[in-house]
Amino acid sequence: MVGFLVLALGLMSGLMKWDESRSSGGDWKADLTQQNIHYQTQMAESKDTDSDYKEHLTKQIKTNEYYLANDMNPYALSLWDYVNASASLVMLITILTVIVAADMIAAEFTWGTIKLLLVGPASRSKIMLSKYISTMMFALLLLILSFVLAFAAGAALQGFDGLSLPHLNVGSDGVIHESSMIVDSLQKYGYAVISLLMYVTLAFMISAAFRSSSMAIAFSLLFMLVGNMVTMLLSGYEWSKYLLFANIDLTQYLPGNSPLRPEMTLGFSITMLVAYYVVFQLIAWTLFTKRDVAA
Amino acid sequence: MKEAVLQLRNVTKTIGRRTIVSDLSFDIPAGEVFGFLGPNGAGKTTTIRMIVGLISMTKGEITVKGVSVRKQFEQAMTHIGAIVENPEMYKFLSGYQNLVHFARRHSGVTKQRIDEVVQLLGLQNRIHEKVKRYSLGMRQRLGVAQAILHKPSVLILDEPTNGLDPAGIRELRDYLRKLTQEEGIAVVVSSHLLSEMELMCDRVAIIQGGKLIDVRSLQEAKNSVQTKIIVESSDIESAHRLLSGAFNHQGVTLVGDRIEITADRSLIPDIARLLVKAGLDVYGIHASQQSLEDQFLEITGGEMVV
Repeated sequence: MVGFLVLALGLMSGLMKWDESRSSGGDWKADLTQQNIHYQTQMAESKDTDSDYKEHLTKQIKTNEYYLANDMNPYALSLWDYVNASASLVMLITILTVIVAADMIAAEFTWGTIKLLLVGPASRSKIMLSKYISTMMFALLLLILSFVLAFAAGAALQGFDGLSLPHLNVGSDGVIHESSMIVDSLQKYGYAVISLLMYVTLAFMISAAFRSSSMAIAFSLLFMLVGNMVTMLLSGYEWSKYLLFANIDLTQYLPGNSPLRPEMTLGFSITMLVAYYVVFQLIAWTLFTKRDVAA
Repeated sequence: MKEAVLQLRNVTKTIGRRTIVSDLSFDIPAGEVFGFLGPNGAGKTTTIRMIVGLISMTKGEITVKGVSVRKQFEQAMTHIGAIVENPEMYKFLSGYQNLVHFARRHSGVTKQRIDEVVQLLGLQNRIHEKVKRYSLGMRQRLGVAQAILHKPSVLILDEPTNGLDPAGIRELRDYLRKLTQEEGIAVVVSSHLLSEMELMCDRVAIIQGGKLIDVRSLQEAKNSVQTKIIVESSDIESAHRLLSGAFNHQGVTLVGDRIEITADRSLIPDIARLLVKAGLDVYGIHASQQSLEDQFLEITGGEMVV
């Protein structure tokens, strides 16, 4: 499992470096200047481009000007780029953890070891809690590993000079702000971790419900992969905002993105997620604690 | 009777409209090997699962050393060690690692104790191999090892001889005897192998249709059982008439082509003299003791399956 992650990270870092070496060369300053001209022409020409796009272009122009003014080459990879890219690997981490979570309870039934596990001086609640905590610790381990390895790969491939590079974003006042890269990376990880938490708790509940390894893993992965798609399709309906998958990706509320349904807010999503979390845990606990083990 | 380490009172299990176990009550003292006997579907496994908390009781109380299983589960379980059907261990771990894993949930199981138990069950040569390489007999023994790590007061074995060869069965019987004598553990065994129960148990509870039919001590059973005298003769009808007249009060019955007389074997010489004097050919006279199997079948009315 851990091997998968390391392999994926290695591949990704390698690809990034290779891609950079292919496209470097050429004058980045001239490039940026060209881009700005192109954007401005676009904005002037099309009168009915929606304001979102125009805003986006304006931001790009401003950012490019900042790069030029401060002599920063945006194409050169810094080690933070590797770390940020690794945030997208959280999807892989989620899948790996979901498989572990789905098997946590179900496998004990499939293997038959549940009979030994439950016949001991530990209440079923205690057993369930300890299994949940170990699953989360596994996820935590993978996340830390991912961050550290990406950092190391970036440092190895790009050197430590990029360490102090700031993260640029255009604030609502139209001015460029510099902020810490580390904070930005952690934020990216943070959002991904929230959806990981929800997917894993869902898988854990399915594990308690099904008592069969293959069923539990199949259903957990199915929900994970198809859930998003189905929710998108249903986004035309007002009630779709109550679905789990409509709320699971909190980055939809970040500047530059738009929520699934216009009336949704961050607070709403957080409330929905908390509610779903409580329901999942309750169902899992009831199913595990109250049912007879007769097989 | 010594103080009971395991007590069942009015234990009942109902699922929907079916009553699987009905109003079961009995006591088991320390150091006794107690057998659970009954036809298929009688409720033995269900009862055992209720004792260890795998299945909930509809009604009733089960206490181990005075602690209620329902109300103080964790404390009660510190006194119980159990194997429910074939013990399944984690196949990807070694026998030793499995024991360490299961030892952790009990306080006070030292490495020494684990080694001691491994020795007791004769597993020392293969204990560090992965369980998937173990034979069934070894897995059974590993299961017993896991169950006694924390020195429980009650050891519960559900069908422990399943799949064991005669040597394995014999070994298990010896370990259990050792446990009851050396460690004073009460052992509850449920089995179909009546002959085995006869050799292993001190007392036997006979369960049928979820109800407790009888509890009898095997020693008493041996002593009180009625001997039968079987008589084989060429002219069986005449013999029957003769003997019925002579022993009218003794239950002389013609069963097929033999005569069965419920009497002590001391009567055999008299029967022989009677028959010979009457000029009848005697092919055989012998005493036959009703085995546990016969008693069991008699009590349960020969029903084997519910």
